[in-house]
Amino acid sequence: MASSSMEVDNVLSEQKVLPPKPKFEPLKPHEMPGAAVQFRKVSVPPHRYTPLKKVWMDIYTPVFEQMKIDIRMNLKGRKVELKTRHDTPDISNLQKCADFVHAFMLGFDVIDAIAILRLDELYVESFEIKDVKTLRGDHLSRAIGRLSGKGGKTKFTIENASKTRIVIADTKIHILGSFANIKIARDSLCYLIMGSPAGKVYSKLRAVTSRMAERF
Amino acid sequence: MANTNDAGVEALRRLQQIDPPSLLAPNPSVSETARSASQYLFTTLRPFSPKSPLDELLVDGYDAEQIWHQIDLQSQPLLSTLRRRLNQFVKNPEEIAQFKVPLDVGKKLEKKKRVELEEEESDDFDEELDDDDDDFEGVEKKKAKGGSEGEDDFEEEDDEDEEGSEDEDDEEDEKEKVKGGGIEDKFLKIDELTEYLEKEEDNYEKGEERDEADEDSEEDDELEKAGEFEMDDEDDDDDDEEDEEAEDMGNVRYEDFFGGKNEKGSKRKDQLLEVSGDEDDMESTKQKKRTASTYEKQREKIQSKIVLMEKANIEPKTWTMQGEVTASKRPINSAFEVDLDFEHNVRPTPVITEEVTASIEEMIQKKIVEGLFNDVQRAPKLPSKAPREVKQLDDNKSGQGLADLYEQEYVQKTDPTSAPLSFKDELKNEASTLFKKICLKLDALSHFNFAPKPVIEDMSFQTNVPALAMEEIAPVAVSDAAMLAPEEVFDGKGDVKEEAELTQAERKRRRANKKRKFKAEAVNKLEKKARLEKKADNAISCQVDG
Repeated sequence: MASSSMEVDNVLSEQKVLPPKPKFEPLKPHEMPGAAVQFRKVSVPPHRYTPLKKVWMDIYTPVFEQMKIDIRMNLKGRKVELKTRHDTPDISNLQKCADFVHAFMLGFDVIDAIAILRLDELYVESFEIKDVKTLRGDHLSRAIGRLSGKGGKTKFTIENASKTRIVIADTKIHILGSFANIKIARDSLCYLIMGSPAGKVYSKLRAVTSRMAERF
Repeated sequence: MANTNDAGVEALRRLQQIDPPSLLAPNPSVSETARSASQYLFTTLRPFSPKSPLDELLVDGYDAEQIWHQIDLQSQPLLSTLRRRLNQFVKNPEEIAQFKVPLDVGKKLEKKKRVELEEEESDDFDEELDDDDDDFEGVEKKKAKGGSEGEDDFEEEDDEDEEGSEDEDDEEDEKEKVKGGGIEDKFLKIDELTEYLEKEEDNYEKGEERDEADEDSEEDDELEKAGEFEMDDEDDDDDDEEDEEAEDMGNVRYEDFFGGKNEKGSKRKDQLLEVSGDEDDMESTKQKKRTASTYEKQREKIQSKIVLMEKANIEPKTWTMQGEVTASKRPINSAFEVDLDFEHNVRPTPVITEEVTASIEEMIQKKIVEGLFNDVQRAPKLPSKAPREVKQLDDNKSGQGLADLYEQEYVQKTDPTSAPLSFKDELKNEASTLFKKICLKLDALSHFNFAPKPVIEDMSFQTNVPALAMEEIAPVAVSDAAMLAPEEVFDGKGDVKEEAELTQAERKRRRANKKRKFKAEAVNKLEKKARLEKKADNAISCQVDG
């Protein structure tokens, strides 16, 4: 089509000269139609209140300075509120910051959650033990124990092997990482929930990670 | 001779009259009579024992033992010949009947005396001998011959006397009977053989005494008789004369034994005639046999063979020729008799002899001396692809944040030169810190202006120090046992279990860990080797270039 148009143009070169194509820059959030300023509100669960108070500055600084998003804590409502500024470069920043704060609320460390701000493709996956297998009472407790391992070493092993971060909150499990890594971690955790001994899971992990490493 | 004979007889008579119990006590008169009696006996027996060295029994001044030995010398060969003759007679009882000699009265008497003496003088002679003699008496009586223990001479005499009669008898016998035994035919007759053997024995025993002329004459006579046996009705006399004339010991011919070859058939015919006694049939068969040509003979032979073969073909074959034969189709244990040939798949076991063991030991010693042990060496695995760096799972909380982790990963992807910090790098770091320490010390020793590096104090807490440190005047013993708790002293990891306490899964886990470590070490070794080789190659190449 372009060539034909060009030919047409060439043919009709004496007659007309079209203007160049316009280049539009991306819209800033406050220029976008709809609300000029956008908000996000992340509620703080009670068990994260004190840790939030401790690491507030670690959260505030990158959000405000690097992401250029306004952030404040609503003490009464126990919420963290985020707002775009006029010089916020990208609308996705707001979402990223919201995700970052949300990840912290789920239980992840700031240094781990910061990765969300820095990398695009990191996600948090959450699921429950009962989604994998219905366990009750002692079995459930044992499953949780299996997941963590002695002193948390099983969890750490999975984290290190799959380059993810895992939070086991009672019956809820949250995994932070890239898509493929989440899958690896999720599979390992599912095996553990379903009753595999840790050694078996380790061997599987080993195989998978070595394969992954080979690829690169 | 007569006087001595009478004396001897008298002595014997006296001995007979003595009571046996009185013989037990030594009595000089009895011994005298005994000696004279034995002397008499000896001299009477002397002619029958040609080989004995003594002419008479030497009695004067001789011991009983010596006298006995002399008697023994004479009697032993006689006994052996007697036994032989007896065995011959046992085998061929007919021969006994042939010896028909009228008994002489004198001989009879002598025999009786000798028999009595034998019965009395039981000390000197075995009972067996007596029995034999008794038996022999019976035989002798049959034969109607005089004599005492085991004498051949009387037999010889009789033989000589009877030769003529024997020959006549044999001739008659020859005519009357043709023995149907398989061995005998017109060539071989056992009677003649035995006669011949006996004659030869006698000749041999007499030996040098005989004149050669006599022997020759005897042989001539024998040969004549041999010829006579076969010549029956036909005109043999001419042949005999011819044979005798042509005869030397070397040129013995067929005709000597069996007459002319022309008469061979006729002789056979005659014999057949005698056997069957039916002249008509014999004549007809005689004619047929005369007209049978060689061709017909051959044909008859072949036909008989054909008949046999056809018979064999019709009959069922033997089991060995029947192809596949099971055990039920052949007779029991018949496989033992047949030499079966089949292939052995297994090599026969070697027979271990001393030589074999010696050779093996020699080889072993040689190998020990040379140090040439054929140890099985693991074949080096060919590296098909680069050895995978086995990632060891770290079960500690990772120090880096997730962001740093991904950052590292990104950097690794984009910039391949920046290698990740691995275990080796940690070792390198450790090594470098140690080296720095050493360098510091050396610098302190060697530099004039030395500025020591600031020491980074690493504080560690020892919580198990006793609260009070009382100064003791004389510390008896100092030990660190009180300082550290057992769990601090213990440098194991986790829950340590005994070998026996481990479960199967734990054992497997241990083994798997071991294997992993071993593999990692192997990988490291290979890499080291590769690096060393590279360095060596480089060095060599440098040298070469340089």
